[in-house]
Amino acid sequence: MKYNEQTRRYFETAARAGALSGPLVYRGAAGNREYGTWVQFDVQTVSGILEDASFLAFGCPHTIAVAAWVAEQAVGQPAIRRLPDSVQGISLRFAVPVEKLGRLLIIEDAWLATIDSAMTEA
Amino acid sequence: MNAAAMPVYLDHAATTPVDARVAARMAEVLKSESEFGNPASSHDYGDTAGALIEMARAQVAAAVGASANEVVWTSGATEANNLAIFGVAQYYRDSGRHIITTRIEHKSVLDPCRELERRGCRITYLEPDGGGLLNPDQVAAALRPDTVLVSIAHVNNEIGVVQDIAAIGAICARHGGVRLHVDAAQSVGKCAVDFAAVGVDLLSLSAHKAYGPKGAGALVVSQRGAAGARVHLVPLQFGGGQERGLRAGTLATHQAVGMGMAFALAAGQLQEEIVRTRQLQQRLWEGLSAIGGVLRNGNAQRCVPHLLNVSFEGVEGESLLAAVRPHLAVSTGSACTSSLAEPSFVLRALGRNERLSESSLRFGLGRSSSERDIDTAIAVLAREVARLRRIAGA
Repeated sequence: MKYNEQTRRYFETAARAGALSGPLVYRGAAGNREYGTWVQFDVQTVSGILEDASFLAFGCPHTIAVAAWVAEQAVGQPAIRRLPDSVQGISLRFAVPVEKLGRLLIIEDAWLATIDSAMTEA
Repeated sequence: MNAAAMPVYLDHAATTPVDARVAARMAEVLKSESEFGNPASSHDYGDTAGALIEMARAQVAAAVGASANEVVWTSGATEANNLAIFGVAQYYRDSGRHIITTRIEHKSVLDPCRELERRGCRITYLEPDGGGLLNPDQVAAALRPDTVLVSIAHVNNEIGVVQDIAAIGAICARHGGVRLHVDAAQSVGKCAVDFAAVGVDLLSLSAHKAYGPKGAGALVVSQRGAAGARVHLVPLQFGGGQERGLRAGTLATHQAVGMGMAFALAAGQLQEEIVRTRQLQQRLWEGLSAIGGVLRNGNAQRCVPHLLNVSFEGVEGESLLAAVRPHLAVSTGSACTSSLAEPSFVLRALGRNERLSESSLRFGLGRSSSERDIDTAIAVLAREVARLRRIAGA
């Protein structure tokens, strides 16, 4: 399979891969490794602002690249129940084939679960 | 991309580069002012080309222990498999419509079998054990009075396991000479093939797996028959009567010459290559297994030396392939026929789960493979598997 430059770059660097720890860290996950795609986000919020974010992902290069991009884009933004772009916009940005759009929904579910966790506990 | 920047090639089970000596001889034939004739023509040009074809036929036959008059040229092993399966099914349809094969055959065997099922034939798909090995008794148990063909690969193209063809041939012979077809596309140049000695009736061969040209192959059709009767086939194509009426079409002299020479060279250095690639295979397996969480697919005791198939725990298959692709040319256990990869049906048949089937890689070692290539592969995989496991939190 061919990947666009954006996908290759985020897949290869995978910056922010890992887990956060400490106070004000909230976590959400979605998917299932057994079914091929699993994503987890950690965020650290201070006064409703995402001070730090990280991710873990088991999945295809598109899944890893998009999860890395979401974590990168989130830092410094308010904690709101929305991805940095629409699923449609992300699919275009990363040239995600239509057969894989379900994987973007798993990323979205993981992100919403993370923000819900932050909002509930904050 | 220039050759220096190309990834390390470890996919010799998919195809091999054409041997330089073979390429040179093929080019001579293509450029010759006396060897371009139609081999079927009745003049000196035709006779010259025809003589080259017959010399090549003898070389192919000698490499697999057959007689020259048993070799039928084809465009490759896929056509040879199709000719064998459809040809037998059609010719013997009045005496039976049952065929035996295995779940781990190449698609060029399984797809014709599925098409014959659609046309009313009954197919028995034998299940190998967890190592990919078939017990010959399974064949004996599956044989029926209406069985017309048993089709089993000598060397499995994904896991490299070598089946006991001699034992299966003996069982077929005892069962009234039911015809035995063997796909030997992965065998020539990698392990000994003796067509006459093992009671095989039909043998499929490919040139490009043995440093010959793509687009050339052969079906060896026994003229003796396991039970003393010759094997008959209905051809797939008509129009010219070439190849004893079994494969119509003007023969490509340069392709046949290339295949003949490639097989002769492969036979000449077989033992040396077995020893060399076995050492490389062992070095590769030791290096990969040291990574941890690496499972070998296929029975290691019955595996050809040029092939190693392993699964990596805790990594996703598509990401694994994407990660190693800039550095290594290997095959994945997934069949990427669309944007979504399908897990290997061969590994699934061996009992591997979907994730391990997808996260498998097949390494095909060949003449150009070196210890340095193996060490590069081990280093790349150690690094990338660790990275993907870290990203996955595994």
